[in-house]
Amino acid sequence: MGEKTIGQVQRTIRRRHFLRRWGLGIIIYVIAILYFFPILYMFLSGFKTEQQAVMPTIFFKPTLDTYKMVLSDPTMYQYLRNSLVQVIGGTGISLLLGVPAAFALVFGKLKHDSSNGKYYLWFITTILLPPVAVLIPLFTWYQQLHLINTPFGLMAAYIGFHTPIVVWMVHSFFSDLPLEIFEAANLDGCSKKQQLFLIALPLARTGIISAALLVAVFIWNEFFLGFNLTGNPTATLPVYLARFREQQGMFVAQLSASSTIAILPAIILGWMTQKALVKGLTMGAVKG
Amino acid sequence: MICPDSFRADLRSMDAKTSYEKNYTSTIGSVDGKTMKTLRKTDYRFLLPAVIVVAVMTQVPFLLTIIFSTLRWNLSRPDLSRSFDNVQNFWYFLKIDSLSEIPEFYSILWQTVLITGVTLILCSVVGFLLALLLDHDIPGVNIARTLMLGPFFVMSTASGVIWKTTIFNTTFGWYGVIMKAIGLTPTDLVSYHPLSVIIVLFTWQWMPFFILVLLAGLQGIPQDLVDSMKIDGVNWFQGVFTIKLPLIMNHMRVAVMLGLVFIIKEFGLILVTTAGGPGTRSYTLPYAVYMQVFSANNVGRASALAVMTVILTLLLVNLLYRSIVKRNEKYN
Repeated sequence: MGEKTIGQVQRTIRRRHFLRRWGLGIIIYVIAILYFFPILYMFLSGFKTEQQAVMPTIFFKPTLDTYKMVLSDPTMYQYLRNSLVQVIGGTGISLLLGVPAAFALVFGKLKHDSSNGKYYLWFITTILLPPVAVLIPLFTWYQQLHLINTPFGLMAAYIGFHTPIVVWMVHSFFSDLPLEIFEAANLDGCSKKQQLFLIALPLARTGIISAALLVAVFIWNEFFLGFNLTGNPTATLPVYLARFREQQGMFVAQLSASSTIAILPAIILGWMTQKALVKGLTMGAVKG
Repeated sequence: MICPDSFRADLRSMDAKTSYEKNYTSTIGSVDGKTMKTLRKTDYRFLLPAVIVVAVMTQVPFLLTIIFSTLRWNLSRPDLSRSFDNVQNFWYFLKIDSLSEIPEFYSILWQTVLITGVTLILCSVVGFLLALLLDHDIPGVNIARTLMLGPFFVMSTASGVIWKTTIFNTTFGWYGVIMKAIGLTPTDLVSYHPLSVIIVLFTWQWMPFFILVLLAGLQGIPQDLVDSMKIDGVNWFQGVFTIKLPLIMNHMRVAVMLGLVFIIKEFGLILVTTAGGPGTRSYTLPYAVYMQVFSANNVGRASALAVMTVILTLLLVNLLYRSIVKRNEKYN
């Protein structure tokens, strides 16, 4: 091998770097697309007719008929509306309860200095509780109170299970706020209520919004309580999808179209919250 | 005492706390007990509604479940009165008459642990490798990250139904078609390997979460450390397993802990893919509770199973939590 000039060496290094970069890039894209494939294929199958959807193909003549049919189905609207009611009501009330609670846990003075930590831990342990552990008493209560198969009954259960998640996430966002602002506000005679609404809420706005979106996704996807506490007229979308096969038989195109409609809002909301999701869910724990 | 030492005192260092105390107790130290009481009341006013609602909807029913688990209570036998039954409901599941006939409960328990454990191991190992891969600075890598995150937000019933009809189906699914194309006979995976199918689906759904958390950890590693690694000539293997992995171990543990809590209570996916079958081969504890209530109508036994589900969750979480605390102590 002859002597190489610096320019030649630089060129080889650059070429190697370039190849490595693109090689890795291609591997990453292939894996990502394969990983996403079931969702992608479901989305595509919605554009097929039932005959086309029987055999798995990627290339076909797309039609909007199936989506149109699913969307013009009044029962689909009913489930969609039920889900929306649960998501909006459940998320809204969970926030109304959870955000002030998180505020009190971070900035409030409770009976003992250790009370804040104790209540916080109590909320966290509630997250560990699996819904099966409460289903039976809830079911018997609801039967006595005639709350079974009502949107209100399901929503109450959702609020109970998702308020702790709001507290958990918002707690970590509030803990990030500089303490000095609240000291100053306190000295200036700002009440706790004003501190919450005029200082804490605007400052932790993005965090609270992402906590809300995440809880909305959780409620939208929740199945166990929805399945056991509702009947046909009040069921939510996940329940509808689970019952799809027994009620309608195997219609792949129709199933794909309705699943796509059911999961699209959650995926889009989820993508919007991904950064805050990591922060809110892991921060407290990673710090130890 | 109304002053800022009340704010997150636990998060502040002791020095800062005492200096606040000194400063402000001298200026506003004359606040009488009455004002302090009202202030405390205000703070509880923010906290209590949430505590009450959460307690009524989760804690109280759980206590009732514990009480129910000690009752002989069968909804399909109204002729038998509800009566205190001691630990008979637990004993019914736990009793081993002879070693040749191990009761069904133990296989359900084993399946629950197996599904959760294997899913978590797959998620953390493969998830870590994928997070390493996605940590590279490639044009448009954010699109790939976003795509891979997708399955995490898909409702479990939708993913179950879609995988079952468009992928695992032996005649019309991708699996069947590909197997036939390469000259093999596709087997009905959902019936023959129900546990593997469930594990694959859980892993598909939860790995994105692991990737997300681990990636956040990897990106938190300071750049100068990575640079000095390169200068010191650390090879890839050493760099990943002796430097990067220990640095993000806490992220890993958090992901495993959250994954554990959520996977162990998963129900919908099992219902739509295998429905617990064949027989009870893919039952998990939550699924068994559901079957005890709505098929066997036995409230007492279902409650006993539910209580054991909670015990299992707490036991596993506790084990993990201890390992985290122990590790933190070691490093501090």
